[in-house]
Amino acid sequence: MRKGKLLAVVGAAALATAGLASAAEPDGRVLFKEYCKPCHAANSPHGEVTPMTLIQDQWERFFKEKLVPSHKELVDSNHGGKKVLDVITPEMLQKIKKFAIDHAADSEHPMTCG
Amino acid sequence: MRTITAVVASVGLLAGAAHAKEYSHQKYFEHYEGTKTCLKCHEKEATTFFHSQHYQWLGQAPQIVNSHGEKLGKLNTINDFCTNPQSNWIGLVRNSRGEVLTKGCSQCHAGLGALPQAKISQAQLENIDCLICHASGYQRDLYQNPDGSWSWKPVLWKNQEGMDSVSKRIGLPTRTNCLRCHAGSGGGPNFKRGDLEYALADTDKAFDVHMGSDGANLQCTDCHAGEDHRVRGRGSDLSGTDDPAKPLSCDDANCHGAAPHKAEVLNFHAQRVYCTTCHVPVFAKQDATDMVRDWSKPSYNAELDKWSATITMGKDVVPVYAWYNGTTWEQLPGQPVKRLAGGAVGMMMPQGDRNDPKARIFPFKLHRAKMPVLDGKNFIIPIVVEEFFANGNIDEAVKHAALDTYGVKDAHYTWTDTERYMGIFHEVTPAAKALACLDCHAPGGRLDWKALGYAGDPILAHLQPAHTVK
Repeated sequence: MRKGKLLAVVGAAALATAGLASAAEPDGRVLFKEYCKPCHAANSPHGEVTPMTLIQDQWERFFKEKLVPSHKELVDSNHGGKKVLDVITPEMLQKIKKFAIDHAADSEHPMTCG
Repeated sequence: MRTITAVVASVGLLAGAAHAKEYSHQKYFEHYEGTKTCLKCHEKEATTFFHSQHYQWLGQAPQIVNSHGEKLGKLNTINDFCTNPQSNWIGLVRNSRGEVLTKGCSQCHAGLGALPQAKISQAQLENIDCLICHASGYQRDLYQNPDGSWSWKPVLWKNQEGMDSVSKRIGLPTRTNCLRCHAGSGGGPNFKRGDLEYALADTDKAFDVHMGSDGANLQCTDCHAGEDHRVRGRGSDLSGTDDPAKPLSCDDANCHGAAPHKAEVLNFHAQRVYCTTCHVPVFAKQDATDMVRDWSKPSYNAELDKWSATITMGKDVVPVYAWYNGTTWEQLPGQPVKRLAGGAVGMMMPQGDRNDPKARIFPFKLHRAKMPVLDGKNFIIPIVVEEFFANGNIDEAVKHAALDTYGVKDAHYTWTDTERYMGIFHEVTPAAKALACLDCHAPGGRLDWKALGYAGDPILAHLQPAHTVK
């Protein structure tokens, strides 16, 4: 089901990827939108997820304990059909994590990723 | 809520047992179930809050000289910013692209969406949003209920574990809590007050000696808190007051006292010149503030796809100065407009003059606007601003408000200039940067002596006795 969802947004993602290639340093917000949002948009069967979905403690625990077990088999058709966890580099993951925590529901600046 | 939490859990976001931190209310309850959780222990406090200005948006108004004993406040008066909240209370307004433009004036009411009622009830007590002022990390948003009505709910309402955590972080309101509404009023950052900016949440003493973290680091409640949710202070242009018997002033005996300076000449000045006149030389030091709002000229922002009044902003604004004895004349709805010498309608006019022993010279933000006045009756008309933001039809927005407020269909009206004096009390600068003698007592100084009731600079009477100025 998730593979199909990813395929459905391949066009948009291709454009975004082209944008990333030319951008020097995509920030956490851009990466969140690029790699998380395709499966976790509003009304998604997988549930909408924004930084404001969780509090900071929950995001910490998610990245520490849950991200890998819950995403290790997922294929990201937006990025060449590779596994999601292979596409997202450790550096990119750190940026996504920082963005989620900095803008969590109980942060000073809660926000969605737009 | 349980069902929705399960959906979130199914995508693998929630993990294991909560690692509970020791928040102030950690041991008092397990699960937050809305305001009724607070009421189990705090019904008395909720009752005092229900009767307060922050909930009722009405209060005693003895300082409004034409109030005639009526309770006044945001709900039954008209201002020259967003005019009146009754017709703009709650609901999403979207632009032609479907983007949300506004959510209603209740965004800054400490309730969950229902209009405040005069009579207390369980439903009204449960409408109080205790967390918006008392819980750090709490955020809320507007959601539509199954019956089509709207409510403000915590953004974590689908996340019980998160809600349980945030709802236990209870304390007195911080600057951040207060500034959420008081810095954002009027439609944007610092638009309305001019001296209450988001920057005050985390600033230094160069910006504000009272709130700077390297200065006194005071919270708003250190000066403004009273007993039983009665907040002290009304500036010069609040209609209702929570605690009229306890006005707030810098020279309270337990703060600076009546003679705070080493130099006697300055203490002598303090008898007729209020502290902030010298100690707040400029306001709107970071975010510009709305100085002129012309509702007669709709302005379209293509980027936002949003209409607004034509607004002229000002930054590092030098105040205007006027005598003020603690009372104010207010242009009230349903009273014929009273015009100033220049023809403008005075919306909020400080009372007092040079010969009034209770009056001192205060600094003000002078806000000018253009507002509609009902032909024949000469009543000031509010504007249904929310619908105007989306469609730009100001005529329709005025006529809608005239019908809501005065029961007049297809109203005829005339645009008129208005003036509002708003006292400046925050962004107090360090003493070394306060005004000095020559800022006022020199040719081209910042005081308009004639407007203050003098023929010229009164110091000349002392320096040149032969040329006495009365």
